[in-house]
Amino acid sequence: MDKAIIVDHLVKNFEVNVKEPGLTGAIRSLIKPLKKAVHALRGVSFSIQTGELVGFIGPNGAGKTTTLKTLSGLLFPTSGFVEVLEHDPWERKPEFLKQISLVMGQKNQLWWDLPAIETFELNKAIYEIPTREYEENLNELTTLLEIKKHVNTPVRKLSLGQRMRMELIASLLHKPKVLFLDEPTIGLDVVAQQKVRDFIYEYNKKYQATIILTSHNMDDLINLARRVIVIDEGKILFDGALEELVSRYAKEKIIKATLSSEDNIKDLDKIGKIKKLAFPEVVISVPRSATAVAAAELLQNFAVDDLTIEEVPIEDVIRKVFRGELRK
Amino acid sequence: MNKYLSIFKISFQQEFAYKVSFVMWRFRNMIQIFVAFFLWDKIFENPGRIVFGYDRSKILTYVFAIIIVRALVLSARAADVAGDVAQGELSNYLIKPMNYFKYWFTRDMSSKILNISFAFFEFIILYLILRPPLFFQQNILIILAFLVSIVIAIMIYFYMLFIVSSVPFWAPELGWGSHFLVTIILIEFLSGALFPIDILPAGIGQVVMSLPFPYLIYFPVQVYLGNITGALLVKGLLISSIWLVILGISMKYVWSKGLKVYEGVGR
Repeated sequence: MDKAIIVDHLVKNFEVNVKEPGLTGAIRSLIKPLKKAVHALRGVSFSIQTGELVGFIGPNGAGKTTTLKTLSGLLFPTSGFVEVLEHDPWERKPEFLKQISLVMGQKNQLWWDLPAIETFELNKAIYEIPTREYEENLNELTTLLEIKKHVNTPVRKLSLGQRMRMELIASLLHKPKVLFLDEPTIGLDVVAQQKVRDFIYEYNKKYQATIILTSHNMDDLINLARRVIVIDEGKILFDGALEELVSRYAKEKIIKATLSSEDNIKDLDKIGKIKKLAFPEVVISVPRSATAVAAAELLQNFAVDDLTIEEVPIEDVIRKVFRGELRK
Repeated sequence: MNKYLSIFKISFQQEFAYKVSFVMWRFRNMIQIFVAFFLWDKIFENPGRIVFGYDRSKILTYVFAIIIVRALVLSARAADVAGDVAQGELSNYLIKPMNYFKYWFTRDMSSKILNISFAFFEFIILYLILRPPLFFQQNILIILAFLVSIVIAIMIYFYMLFIVSSVPFWAPELGWGSHFLVTIILIEFLSGALFPIDILPAGIGQVVMSLPFPYLIYFPVQVYLGNITGALLVKGLLISSIWLVILGISMKYVWSKGLKVYEGVGR
């Protein structure tokens, strides 16, 4: 398979003006501005195959959005190599831009005072989409996202969920081969989230589109991303299958048991950390290396009807990622 | 080309999205002209009076010519560009296969065409109410020179706006301040939109005429009125063309630098 995206030792530094608090600080920064370099990306390398759907996760300010912006040609890399669909994104060649799209959950391209259809028509012209194709795509997208009846409503009168779906349509009318989704479900209600999620899944499948997704929404990642890249403080901490992330970073395993009597039930905490105790059910978390011993002890000393050993839920690991706990 | 035609169309619709505020804005324009008219009319109450070499008819023609030239030159949507840069909205445009400068130029043109059509009606209304003694240029060559100077003025203003709008690349908080300095202070005072430049003392006047600002309003108006002809006309067109090239090159340079430090903030 060919690679859609190649990133090699990508570095991006920003210079920011530092301002001390208060009026004196403001005046001081006016006279002698204090510049501070921010290292947003410190040598990031990865590559993505055509048709892959990859989740980008990490705490706020980890460098996810910076990476996406660099890949779509908005930011000029400080150093390193970036190639998307065999183009250097920074050149922003029309052939390149016609094949990609960047959707940012909090940015809008729709014309606020006009119906969404006007923005769609404009994008048709900008992306030079043939009329037949445009009509087919529009019909398909509005049907999939169940928003057909609102295309003639001025954007300012749409709800956030409706607007976000319109944004998605505007970004996808030209059928991009590479899609960068930055928090596509942010601020949406549960139903709208599910619609957008299903849609992303379908789009990836149907068009073999390469998609990078960043999200703080657990369900987005678990349902969509097979492969995840964990990024923190501008560095990649993990790159691999979602399940592997769990086995690599979960230091514990979960033992679930069904007890037949309450004998010695107070001694259960000697086995491991009790997560839940609601007789007859008990959930204990034990260190990964001591799982077998703990299970044997449990069987020996307690009246166990049934016992299973499980991995820590993916959610718990991802939550750790968001908290920036993986770097330790 | 179709691309920019579509931008033109949507831009036109956008202008009409807030009909009431549009009408109010045009109304404000007319009031401004009334104020200027009565001010100068009062000064030249005595028909024989000549101030700074202007008599009543000339100064009133100047005031009316400003309506038209202003509507053509100083109405520009590109004033929003600084905000785009400061708030990271620029990303929305950079990601699309189109030219950002052409995009805004197209939007400017749609705004100008809308403006000029309204200014034309207002002109007729004001003319009927005030019945000023106006001078209509009939020399085709002069009208041609006037049109050339207008095109140059439009381009100079566009480049100026874009150069000023690049300030937020480096200092987002200075966006509005620099805009204020250039568009309100420099352009209002030095372009001839408030008063004809030649009422200034000769020394200062000469300095001002070597700057790009008077070529926005004052110069085209004077060309139309037939006050600048021959060698002076050629000299003026030359100076403004040189500024046009300088500003054009500066704009390209500043933007290529600016885009490299662009952070696309606001997420």
